[in-house]
Amino acid sequence: MTLASPRIVRTARAIARPAERNAMTFVDSPPAATADTPPITLAGVTKDFVTDSGDTVHAVAQVDLAIEPGEFVCIVGPSGCGKSTLMDMVAGFLPPTGGTVSVGERVVTAPGQDRGVVFQQPNLFPWMSVRHNVELGPRLRGVRARERRELAERFLTLVGLEQFMERRPYELSGGMQQRCQIARVLANDPEVILMDEPFGALDALTRERLQLELLEIWRQKRKTVIFITHSVDEAIFLGTRVLVMSARPGRVILDQPVHLAGPEAGSELRSLPEFVALRDKVSAAIYAAQNVHGATPVDH
Amino acid sequence: MSAAVATAATESGPAQGGPRGRARSWPTGLRRGAVHASVFAALMLTWWGVTAASLIDPLFLPGPAAVWQAFVDANTCHPVNETSSRIVCGAQNYFLWEHLLASLQRIAIGVSAAVAFGVLLGFLMGTMRGFGMVLEPYLNFLRALPPLGYIGLLIVWFGIGDVSKIWLLFLAAFPPITMATIAGVRGIHASRIHAVESLGASRWQVLVHVVFPSTLPGVISGVRIAVGFAWTTVVAAELNNGIPGIGGLAYVAGTQLQTPLVIACIIVIGLAAIALDSALKLLGAVAVPWYGKAKA
Repeated sequence: MTLASPRIVRTARAIARPAERNAMTFVDSPPAATADTPPITLAGVTKDFVTDSGDTVHAVAQVDLAIEPGEFVCIVGPSGCGKSTLMDMVAGFLPPTGGTVSVGERVVTAPGQDRGVVFQQPNLFPWMSVRHNVELGPRLRGVRARERRELAERFLTLVGLEQFMERRPYELSGGMQQRCQIARVLANDPEVILMDEPFGALDALTRERLQLELLEIWRQKRKTVIFITHSVDEAIFLGTRVLVMSARPGRVILDQPVHLAGPEAGSELRSLPEFVALRDKVSAAIYAAQNVHGATPVDH
Repeated sequence: MSAAVATAATESGPAQGGPRGRARSWPTGLRRGAVHASVFAALMLTWWGVTAASLIDPLFLPGPAAVWQAFVDANTCHPVNETSSRIVCGAQNYFLWEHLLASLQRIAIGVSAAVAFGVLLGFLMGTMRGFGMVLEPYLNFLRALPPLGYIGLLIVWFGIGDVSKIWLLFLAAFPPITMATIAGVRGIHASRIHAVESLGASRWQVLVHVVFPSTLPGVISGVRIAVGFAWTTVVAAELNNGIPGIGGLAYVAGTQLQTPLVIACIIVIGLAAIALDSALKLLGAVAVPWYGKAKA
């Protein structure tokens, strides 16, 4: 199993420390405790489903994975390859059939505040204003009203929604709702962030803009991120590491470190020859993955 | 002359498109109001025409004026008849509005109890699978019963007065509220629950912050159904010892062949039902402004 290149991890940490301190000092807990983001470890994780007709479907087969603190891991693969199932198990929504998922030292058994989840649908609560949606996480922990208001204002400003704080979510566009969801997760100060095709339902322009914003935020916070996507381009653009999963039963068939993401890089990354080469490599792996269990072997 | 015709023609040019143009520029509400008003006027005119021409015996169908007079008499103190100096107030010893109020009061008590009990039961049945599965057949049975089918039993248990009527309304109103609550709880999208759980919510916090508000639109429409059902039930239940009560008045007036008063009661019953439903609809729009606007 290839881990992300040591150089990337080192730079990630070097950038992470000071930025993390600056961004996090307003949180009620001491900065030292929040500055570190734990590793995520999957050991022999499998998931089987029993269908209504009684058949067993092997969705995920034997995944071993070590995700280093501060990595931005993108998972791509053909439809139905179990990548969302994998993420649901990390989030604690589904128990694995076999193996264990751990975040830091703790074995995952249920959803929790330490793992923030950004869904494909905004999942905002329409009975609350945009601001109250973002305040919800801190409110559940008993953070005082004034403090959580400051938190909400800070993170809504970060995602560019400061003008819309008192609106209801359904009064916002799809892209703005997705920004609000990201602010809600960030304001809750999770240790790691799990994103399940968060930009999948957006138009291309909004999607590119949000990718840049997300990268910017990640560069400030350096939280560990697992990001599920259909788009190879998106995976290589955002990730420090791209995992390709095979068709069902899903397993990791390519573990590709990405060295492109320099701190200043923007959309122009996409035209670099290295970017194009990586995109071809990952696409080929996905293409191969689709045929792994098919009748015709891949012709190279 | 021909010039004048020509002028008239050119002037009528735009005017020809006029009626349609003018109709389009009318506010839609006004146009709809005009349609309603003319249909209503036609209906009243037919009623008046048929009765004024004595096509039907007034005992079966009195004219609008007689119904209006019965309505006024039932709300005021007036002589028993033109020759007598004895004064009576209202009908059956109560003013008509007191009869209406008595019925509304029964509904208010019965339905309030049904909302409190029905919502609680719905939450328990919706969140605890086993509990819901065990109780659901009984709930369906009760809901399928026409309430007047068991009024006899309630009279044996609680007497012929108000208590049995209120029990009847309670039993008629809570099953639809419980059903709507269960449907609301079970219909919550799993990702909504997941979202709040991964923000760190406890089981209780999930209920308070997500399950309850998500269910609110369903509960409110359940209450609307229940109130409509309770209204039809109370009017029918007042056939037995229902004075004061608008249904009781309609029934007693019928047995005494006071057809104008019966028709006045029918109109009041119908209008009251519409007013009740509109009030609840308004309440719903205020309480759940997001309903129908928010996805998932």
